[in-house]
Amino acid sequence: MSLATVAVRPSRLGRVSRLVRADLLAAVGAVLLVLIVLASLAAPWLAPFPQDGTTATHATQSLLPPGGGHLMGTDQVGRDVLSRLLYGGRTSLFIAAVVLLLAAAVGVALGVIAGYAGGVVRDVIMRVTDVFLAFPALLLSLALAVVLQPSVRTAILAIAATWWPWYTRLTASIASSIRSRGYVDAARCLGVSPARVMLRHVLPNSLTPVLVQLSLDAGGVILTAAALSYLGLGAQEPTSEWGLMVEQGQALFTTDWWVVTFPGLAILVTAFAFNVLGEGLRAALDPRRNAR
Amino acid sequence: MRPLSPIPSVLASAAVAVLALSACSGGTVRGAGDSTASNGGAGSTFVYAANLDVVTDWDPATSYSNEIIAMENVYESLTKYDSATQKVEPRLATSWSSADDGKTWTFTLRSGVKFHSGRTMDATAAKEAIERTISLKGGPAYIWDSVATIDTPKPTSLVFHLKYAAPLDLISSSAYAAYIYDTKAAGSEDLTKWFGTGKDAGTGPYRIAQWAKGQETEVKLRASSDYWGGWKGKHYTDLEFRVTPQLTTAWQLLQRGDVNFVERLNPQLFAQAEKNKQGLQTSSTPSFQNLLALFNTAQGPMSDLRLRKAVQRVIDSKGLLSALKGADTAATGLVPEGLLGHATDLGLTHDVAAAKTLLQQAGYGPGKPLTLEMTYAQGDDDQQLFATLLTSALDEVGVKLHAQPLQWNAQWERGKSADPAKRQDIFVMYWYPDYADPYSWLINIFHSANPPSFNLTYLSDKSVDARIDALPQLTANDRPQAEKAYVDVQRELIEKQAVVAPLYVQRYQRAYSANVGGYTDNPAYPNVVFAHDLTPGG
Repeated sequence: MSLATVAVRPSRLGRVSRLVRADLLAAVGAVLLVLIVLASLAAPWLAPFPQDGTTATHATQSLLPPGGGHLMGTDQVGRDVLSRLLYGGRTSLFIAAVVLLLAAAVGVALGVIAGYAGGVVRDVIMRVTDVFLAFPALLLSLALAVVLQPSVRTAILAIAATWWPWYTRLTASIASSIRSRGYVDAARCLGVSPARVMLRHVLPNSLTPVLVQLSLDAGGVILTAAALSYLGLGAQEPTSEWGLMVEQGQALFTTDWWVVTFPGLAILVTAFAFNVLGEGLRAALDPRRNAR
Repeated sequence: MRPLSPIPSVLASAAVAVLALSACSGGTVRGAGDSTASNGGAGSTFVYAANLDVVTDWDPATSYSNEIIAMENVYESLTKYDSATQKVEPRLATSWSSADDGKTWTFTLRSGVKFHSGRTMDATAAKEAIERTISLKGGPAYIWDSVATIDTPKPTSLVFHLKYAAPLDLISSSAYAAYIYDTKAAGSEDLTKWFGTGKDAGTGPYRIAQWAKGQETEVKLRASSDYWGGWKGKHYTDLEFRVTPQLTTAWQLLQRGDVNFVERLNPQLFAQAEKNKQGLQTSSTPSFQNLLALFNTAQGPMSDLRLRKAVQRVIDSKGLLSALKGADTAATGLVPEGLLGHATDLGLTHDVAAAKTLLQQAGYGPGKPLTLEMTYAQGDDDQQLFATLLTSALDEVGVKLHAQPLQWNAQWERGKSADPAKRQDIFVMYWYPDYADPYSWLINIFHSANPPSFNLTYLSDKSVDARIDALPQLTANDRPQAEKAYVDVQRELIEKQAVVAPLYVQRYQRAYSANVGGYTDNPAYPNVVFAHDLTPGG
């Protein structure tokens, strides 16, 4: 590395500053997400009443309005809403992370195989993918969740089962274009096995759009998980989960607004943050935009 | 006061502040723009918002569930019980008398009454209906157990000869299994199947006009022009039952005038309805309806008496009532206040330490965790509240509760499952008497029954059966002794065998449109609105 190169490279702070200026909304999303993730991870230490986030109830303190003792009030069974909101964040983010991990692992693997192998293999994988994509994701998730016992695990499986085809389709098209590139041909000519070619050459070059898609999908997964819990098919008591909190508080919306409003806001803000960050990433990583 | 965690964080406050800046969540009202309720005049419709599915069985002989809210407007019994006066009033029978120390009862029937099928309702038709109900042995057909024979000396005279003395005027007022219907309405078709398609053969003021199972407006009834009570003056000519599990939706529909009557609101919405005196009316009436947690005595962990007693001790009844905020009252024993055999000293004792000891004795602890399955009715906020509190309370003693809300039909089917392994450990349900008498709690829920119907404790105890079987005759012959016998059986079931936990007695808290006139709650017919008695337009 030459000294000249070092001299013209902007400082780390400068790069961050340039990125923030380039896409303020994405930066806001990123900050919100950092706050939400940190607050959720630190729930046992941050929650004013940690036991309320798990199993405790206090029937005689039900529906206290927001105030000194309880910043966001209490719910029908006297649990501190703020504590449950913080713990609920852990559940919602955990669901999003696991769903996306599962969906990406399965979807990307199948997509790379379909794109690289081509022919019958591609046709079979893509037709199966089409079948899954033919159903609205939420409806398919609902159907699966009804068959299985309602729980966080059920919600994860039900959502992941409907999410992977998008990654397959995305990766298959990228892998298909990569397979005819010169460096892939060269590897093949050198006798590198197909599995190694896919793993070392095709997969790494397919990951950038997948990462963008993951950040865009996270909000959708959180919304879907909340919808399943709202319908009684996802997280169950005493688990803190935002969708479940909305479901339990919605009958109180006109009388004890705090029970439903805060978890509703949490879902809204988190989904918003993921979406704007995803859009920002998409724009930032778009080679056409970077070329200009 | 509960302890605060040691680090109230700046970060949490910041996050909360950021979150609080955004918009609120809300909901939408189903059927927006589909306004059907009316405020009077010709062709007016009364819309009832029910929070559970309406119909499980249309056969008047075997019907034994929520469809009562429709059935009581389609079918009639010989007599009717007035909870306000605590007297039996005429209905299809205009008068009655008993002889032979209560073993012979003669009912004089109303003349000129026609079934919706066109056939005249007379003593022969009434006899045929009651005999069919008895022979099918479905629902609460037991109410006629005392009947030996029925004679029809005159078209308007129905004579019952009983095996033992029984209050047949009260029995005839039963909310179930006492309907008089045309047994020949189906002609050559099978009558049970005919009823199953949503047809009716009653004498009541309304006929079934439409039944759409699973639809939001599940049942529509239309005025029967031949009704003996007549249609002079202002009456609702149509009656609709709109299934609205979400209370906020029901509340919004009521405020908008899309429904006339909401079966039940939560305490907070009811308080709002009470304040809103301009557009709405409310009523709050003590009921005979109580919530019971039935323990599976035949299969699984709850077959261990120590475990059942532990669960009873974990339940914090006072806490539950506090969270229910006046919508319900304490349950002492199985029989609510106002009925024979009400016990005042059979409440649950909240004792977590004793529960832990019992669990240890039963072999459960850190090395042997325990998970219980409980089912309750989806859409009932009070039951959901109980489920949440019990989940938390059981967790405190190391027991994991999987509380599953189910549509009533699904919950009941699972409870009745032929495969005992599929049944739940705890079944939560409401019970109210078939007629104003405590017998129905005992005969239906705790008498052995195979296959089970409402005996969802699956108790099979010959000694308990015998004591229950003796109650009707004892009630007829020696009321003070019967009172004692009822209390003793309840003590056996709640304290000794611990097969049930009575949770609370409901107050019927109704909200209805200001333009509905003449509504009174009659807890002997739970949740029923006798629509013909109402005056549209107030």
